[in-house]
Amino acid sequence: MIDEIHTLSGAYALNALPLGEREAFEGHLTRCESCDIEVRGLCETAARLALAVAEPPPAAMKSRVLAQISQVRQEPPVVPHPPMEEPVRATVRDNVRPFSRRRQRFTVGIAAVATAAAAVLGVVAVEARQARDTAELQGRTLAGLLAAPDAVVKKVPVTGGGTAVLVSSHASGRVLFASSNLPPIAPTRTYQMWLMDSGEIRSAGLLSGETAVVALARGDDRFGLTVEPAGGSDQPTTTPVLLTRI
Amino acid sequence: MNDVISLVPAPGEGREPGLEDLLVRVARGDETAFERIYDALSAPVFGLVRRVVRDRAQAEEVAQEVMVEVWRTAARFDPGRGSAMSWVLTMAHRRAVDRVRSAQASADRERRAVREEVAYDQVAEAVTTRLEGERVRRCLDGLTELQRQAVTLAYYGGYSYPEVAGLLQTPLGTVKTRMRDGLVRLRDCMGVDR
Ligand SMILES: [Zn+2]
Repeated sequence: MIDEIHTLSGAYALNALPLGEREAFEGHLTRCESCDIEVRGLCETAARLALAVAEPPPAAMKSRVLAQISQVRQEPPVVPHPPMEEPVRATVRDNVRPFSRRRQRFTVGIAAVATAAAAVLGVVAVEARQARDTAELQGRTLAGLLAAPDAVVKKVPVTGGGTAVLVSSHASGRVLFASSNLPPIAPTRTYQMWLMDSGEIRSAGLLSGETAVVALARGDDRFGLTVEPAGGSDQPTTTPVLLTRI
Repeated sequence: MNDVISLVPAPGEGREPGLEDLLVRVARGDETAFERIYDALSAPVFGLVRRVVRDRAQAEEVAQEVMVEVWRTAARFDPGRGSAMSWVLTMAHRRAVDRVRSAQASADRERRAVREEVAYDQVAEAVTTRLEGERVRRCLDGLTELQRQAVTLAYYGGYSYPEVAGLLQTPLGTVKTRMRDGLVRLRDCMGVDR
């Protein structure tokens, strides 16, 4: 029987266990680490199946829900959470004077942190489709990227206004950047893209128009956008208006 | 000036930090964070619930309950144990299944079950229009027929595995195993972090 109970992880993740068995299996999960780990991955997988059938609810539902929560008391925390750090934070460090370490921290902003909100969600599909439309030339690239097994789609707000959709795939070695409604900048300035790995930042080129396809190097794990003097800079000189993991 | 930008990851940061952080904020009563969660997840929640419940009005009701439940019980979410998306959608799926399992007599469900045989095709059709869906469908296509039916009948149809076994006229043990190895294959195909 012990052997057999491990095989329930799939049915459990699909919420297909009858009540009694569900409880028994939850008991098992507290004792069996391998099932516990497996179940987490399978639950994440099941959730993706839901993304596939995402459908916006009627707009009125949102106002009903928001009205309702203002009347609903929340459960108190089960375990006290430590004070949360901003999960994505960037530090600009003056390399030339290592001892003064003039630090200027900035927060990308919770909205940008909500990258994930869009990354895997049906919601982003619309924007991505817009991106696809506006990036006709890149359509083939986008299709190729989307077909990549490791493709990740993110929608990221841009500080100051506008949003960007990034489709990245390390397997394909490319990231597609598509923006909309970026804040206008002076003609003496330009938007410049950056790729970062654990140690380095390098320019990924100037953004002309709204979209760009950029080659990824192994190890690149972040993408940034800054406003630079026309012609671009060797290294970013201003606070990124967008900074996200890819 | 030779500036270096580096990201300082917060402790326990996963690949997709955003929703998790928002949900932690929701637990502290942050209504703005909740609204973001709503914007991000209400469509998959509603789509999933609707697929299981079928009836649009009922689906709306259940989806609304789910979103309010997210607000109410956000403190139970443990970012160390999985993504916020998975937490919310698991809740949505349970609610939807509770609704159909309580609302319908089993005879009813049996009859409905016959029509479910086409569930996968409908799903396949629905997902083609969606970005993430294209990938999901491709991954579903990579399953064996039995794996695919077992997974989709359980997840989109809301059937328990004994019901699925009945529908597919397959032994219980086989259905359990196919659900598991089917999901494992999907997980690997979708590149889900373990
Ligand atoms: Zn086990």
